Amino acid sequence: MPVLSEPASLLQRRLWVVVGKGGVGKTTVSVLFGLWAAQLGKRVLVAEVDGAGRAAWLLGAEPAPLGMARAVRPNLSVMSVEGSAALAEYLRLILPVRRVLDVVFSSRIYQYFVAAAPGLKELMTVGKIWYEAERVDAETGHRMWDLVIMDAPATGHSLQYLGMPKAAHEVFQTGLVGRESQRLIELLSDPVRTAVHIVTTAEEMPVNETIEMYHRLCSDLQLPFGFLVVNRLHNRRFEADKLLRLRDRLAHLPQSERAIAEAVLDRALEEEGWSAIHAQYLHRLSEQVPLPRIELPFLFAEEFSSQHLGELVAVLAQQIAGLERASRPHGFRSARDS
Amino acid sequence: MTIDPAKRLADALGLQALGDEPVDVSLPGGGTLAALMLDQKGAWDRLVERHAPTAEIRDKILRNRFYQHLSQSFAGSQEYMAIEQLRALHESGRYDLIVVDTPPTRHALDFLEAPQRLADFLDRSIIRWFVKPYFSASWTTLRLFNRTVGFLFRRLEEATGVSALAEVSEFFTAMAGLFENFEPRVRQVYELLRAPQTGFLLVVSPEEQVLQEAEFFLTQIERLRVNLRAVVVNRMHREVLVRGRAPQRRTLAAIFRKLGVGPDLVEALVSNFEDYQALGRGDLLRVEAFQRQVPSSTLLLTVPNLASDVHNLAGLEAFHRHLFAEAAA
Repeated sequence: MPVLSEPASLLQRRLWVVVGKGGVGKTTVSVLFGLWAAQLGKRVLVAEVDGAGRAAWLLGAEPAPLGMARAVRPNLSVMSVEGSAALAEYLRLILPVRRVLDVVFSSRIYQYFVAAAPGLKELMTVGKIWYEAERVDAETGHRMWDLVIMDAPATGHSLQYLGMPKAAHEVFQTGLVGRESQRLIELLSDPVRTAVHIVTTAEEMPVNETIEMYHRLCSDLQLPFGFLVVNRLHNRRFEADKLLRLRDRLAHLPQSERAIAEAVLDRALEEEGWSAIHAQYLHRLSEQVPLPRIELPFLFAEEFSSQHLGELVAVLAQQIAGLERASRPHGFRSARDS
Repeated sequence: MTIDPAKRLADALGLQALGDEPVDVSLPGGGTLAALMLDQKGAWDRLVERHAPTAEIRDKILRNRFYQHLSQSFAGSQEYMAIEQLRALHESGRYDLIVVDTPPTRHALDFLEAPQRLADFLDRSIIRWFVKPYFSASWTTLRLFNRTVGFLFRRLEEATGVSALAEVSEFFTAMAGLFENFEPRVRQVYELLRAPQTGFLLVVSPEEQVLQEAEFFLTQIERLRVNLRAVVVNRMHREVLVRGRAPQRRTLAAIFRKLGVGPDLVEALVSNFEDYQALGRGDLLRVEAFQRQVPSSTLLLTVPNLASDVHNLAGLEAFHRHLFAEAAA
């Protein structure tokens, strides 16, 4: 059974996992979620897994070294997370003897083991996210972050990441790995603390993958769902018949005007084509993936800039507010109110 | 063959389910086309069945819990198995051309590096440490007399529990016979991927994030010693110019007013056109900057943004015309 969520309760969770097919805009959506939550006064970390530091780059900052948080806006930090760096950090935490660690890190067997041991990097990545989600600031005694947003790798791989703690727990039932993986499973599957959001575009292949993923998240992994975010929607409608009839009449135009008028009509047909496709797949999604849905428009920009991020955050805020109103009476409390 | 865990190729070819065995796709014309998707679990099992020296060892491996998880759920083992399957397909001699569709860039690099990592993983000097049963005398001796090893194993025991470690050790012991043939096979694939008759194609779109990842891939080409034949830029928007200049908004509006089009539609048409012109300008700037990073010996092809989603054979055919019209020109 799917673990469905009230939009209002989603906003109280501490870990948001953002998944989806490659190229649908997961990192952008993670950053938008981050900007939105930071505006509400939450202290937010966006953790990009196996990425190229794109979250930082989108916000106009240089990426920090792996595993380190970089503050990019008031209340908002970003981090790049990668498995072998996370493992080294973890070993530093559990084996505090510096000299011994140096021996371990430089030994050939360790290098080979880390590079080749299947699943270890994935497990350590999820472990690092868990650590950040639970981390307490030693000075203030409060949690470091109100919300950690994990920007997961492309679908097939993100399911492998999310499934790792369970696999590891089954192999290593006793011992430290067994205990640690149990804690990861508890966090990931806890509907009070965690929400998994799926990002897609409204096209055949991403939608198929989204449906498949939705079912796998319901059945094998049993993780609590959040929003379905449909990104880059074209939504200008033209009457195709009318445009085609108009094109027949271009023959009357002088040669110099005809080519350019044809190009104008072609672009309108292109836009109508995509808008029709998107409407069709939105319909399919609403039948097959019953999650509260956020729709983000395609932006016609020569170059994507922070101004566009701002526009999209405004759309996001409006839509979340709409979903939240629809799901009362629980009501939404921001971090400031609680 | 696709090694991407997502089932895209099946979608694109209109096949309900792709299996581990090549499935024929019906095509007009003379050649034949077959498609397959790697079934990770099945591939491991078949590998064990094919190479296990005795039935007893085969069953021992197949029953081992560590093996079951390794073959089912651990990321990374997919690349190992893809390599194995690629080698088998190549050796079968059944195809004139094998096209391998890899996962997105970062993981495609994993794919290229998998043979080497596998060879490292199976390095005799490392394996030697694992292939003795865990409770045997040689492990005990090793733990007592080698400080680093002793330290590592005490920590490993704490971390994983002794029973799990014994299971891992049993797995390696049982697999030891299989490893005998692994190294030459891995070397063969390493050479195959770098052979003169092997070419790599990099497919990108004109979006900033995609091009950034692609540039990263370009920087790795020399290190990986692969032969990049072509870059395909997909979904490219084009700005329309008249005598080298973008047409003015009022000129466009006047043309459509002259045709008797109502003011609302004129406005919608012209605004939409200008938005697409902006996309075209941006795409061109980014692709030109990207092209400067591409070696001059590499072909760069562009495919326009088609007004429909490509996910069936008809769509693929339209796409094909664009791609090869340009290649032929």
